[in-house]
Amino acid sequence: MRSRAEWVLRVAAVGLLAWALWGALRPARSAAVSSVDAGSLRAALARWSSAAPPTAVHVTLGGGDVLPGYARQWLMAFRRDGVGVTWGQPLETSVAPLVASALEAEAVADPRGGTRVRVAAPGGAGVVVRDALGPLDSVRVGPRAQGATVMIPASLRTIDGVVGSTPARGAVVDSLTLRHVLVLGRAGWESKFIVRSLEEEGWPVDVHLAVAPRNDVVEGKPTAIDTALYAAVIAIDSSVAPVAPRIATYVRSGGGLVVVGSAAQVFHELDSGAPGVRVRDDEGAPSDTAPRRSLGLMPVTQLAVDAVVLERRGDLVAVAARRVGTGRVVQVGYDDTWRWRMAGGDSSATRHRAWWAAVVSSVAYAPRSERPVPADVDVAPLAHLVDALGAPTAPAASTAFARRLDIDPLRSPWIFGVLLLALLVEWASRRLRGRR
Amino acid sequence: MSEFVFATAKYDSGDWDASPLVPANIIDSVARYTEIDVAPQGVVVPLSSAEMLEYPLLYVTGHLPLRFTDAERRNVQKYLDRGGMMFVDDHNHDIKGVFHKTATEEITRTAGRLVDLPNAHELYTCFFKFPDGPPNTSHELNGWGDNLIHSHLQAVTRAGSNRIEVLYSSKDYSSEWGYHPDSKRFNQVDNTKFGVNIIVYALTR
Repeated sequence: MRSRAEWVLRVAAVGLLAWALWGALRPARSAAVSSVDAGSLRAALARWSSAAPPTAVHVTLGGGDVLPGYARQWLMAFRRDGVGVTWGQPLETSVAPLVASALEAEAVADPRGGTRVRVAAPGGAGVVVRDALGPLDSVRVGPRAQGATVMIPASLRTIDGVVGSTPARGAVVDSLTLRHVLVLGRAGWESKFIVRSLEEEGWPVDVHLAVAPRNDVVEGKPTAIDTALYAAVIAIDSSVAPVAPRIATYVRSGGGLVVVGSAAQVFHELDSGAPGVRVRDDEGAPSDTAPRRSLGLMPVTQLAVDAVVLERRGDLVAVAARRVGTGRVVQVGYDDTWRWRMAGGDSSATRHRAWWAAVVSSVAYAPRSERPVPADVDVAPLAHLVDALGAPTAPAASTAFARRLDIDPLRSPWIFGVLLLALLVEWASRRLRGRR
Repeated sequence: MSEFVFATAKYDSGDWDASPLVPANIIDSVARYTEIDVAPQGVVVPLSSAEMLEYPLLYVTGHLPLRFTDAERRNVQKYLDRGGMMFVDDHNHDIKGVFHKTATEEITRTAGRLVDLPNAHELYTCFFKFPDGPPNTSHELNGWGDNLIHSHLQAVTRAGSNRIEVLYSSKDYSSEWGYHPDSKRFNQVDNTKFGVNIIVYALTR
């Protein structure tokens, strides 16, 4: 019986030594499970790459932390090498959860520059748009909306959109080439002040205004109506009829067209709808709160199937747009917007200018040149994270699971203690065998 | 689209209504030579009223001192800032006269410094061609008033461009154009053509 027990102890000791020997000879692993937060991840990745990687990694992201692209790629490389990689957030309620969001930024076709930022976010979420210097604008997504659009009056290279506390970073990847705007129509206050506003906005404007038979006022060099020359054509009234076929060809090849008031009578195939009976202005001065309410209006009626209403006045459609071929056409029902600029409130000149610039920008043809995407762009951080590393897991469960599976025989004090105890008992048993 | 309405400015000081026949005569010429939609009747608008902002070209004339009230000055500054244009004509044709002295002071104070307008300016070519600059008036040629033939008009131009905000004339076009339109047929040369240029310029620049 005693010799059998000693034999068992010897076998146990030899078995443990063999296990330790195997542990020493097998490919090294630094730690069984490593749990790191976002702040220390970069250093940990560098350490694991130059020494032994752990068998499993759990990345804990605090509120407002997202994994940069390089870190995701690095962790995916570890995963392909057999390292278990998981991520999650602390269970504390004080940590804001990552929000599913996405960001898109594009340059606006406007001489003063400008960036249109579209952010996809859950309804009711707060969105802050910022650049490297700080916040630029903020907006709250409507309860039933799926995102928001923010116009930034500056040309930006990269831009951040923070939804809740989840930051996304987008980049403007195109640079635009802006051409001239051509204004056609009869001489009048509307044409004059549209030209004036666009020039103040920075657009180079060519003008061809009819004053008398064989005596037009021409500014610039309005030659062929072509996308190689013009970003947009503005047709002020029906006097553009003789060149309407050329304008239609220009639009179908990608050009932008703004049809104002009675000019809609000559662009049947391009219009968003038919021009209705003119509603006279109310002869009141345009107010700052609703400046276009008191302007003369030739409403857009019988809307085309693919037309999009951009602005209404009561039940009447005031501005509508549609695509024709590869170009865009916006139909403006107002025909006396100059009254807004001249007789409106204190900010009327500025707002009139901005409104017309926005109308032209919405249709302007602007050839794009691609620019390289900055490395730190992450337009949808949560989506990219789930795509790379899977769904989040609870940190305690994952590490405990890994800990149960992976015990290092060379470093475990329990193994050493059992081995030492087995040898000691076996040795003591043999030494005390003849004693009474 | 609204039509062009010839507007005469009414100001508190002086005789703003010294040339009542000029509007009808110029309206007649605009209708005669151009396709511009023009209202058959002119209007009179007080410079002290916001109503002036509805008329982006204003005709100002008189013999007596021109002094803006505070309200008039504020309105004129707002008007010019937004793109309005004023044509101011000295009905005295006398650079030592009270209208000239006070009007040039008031314009300088309200809008900026008047400078000679180059005779190659597009004002002189935008419709009818006046290669020698502003046409002379019979008062100048007859030696009346200051006994000068003014070779240039003066103007305040918009900062950074050559666009006219205030056009100032010492040539007394108010007398030259102050006759009934029906009498135009007796003229060998229609002397209101330059008035058409002013209106075409205002409507297109």
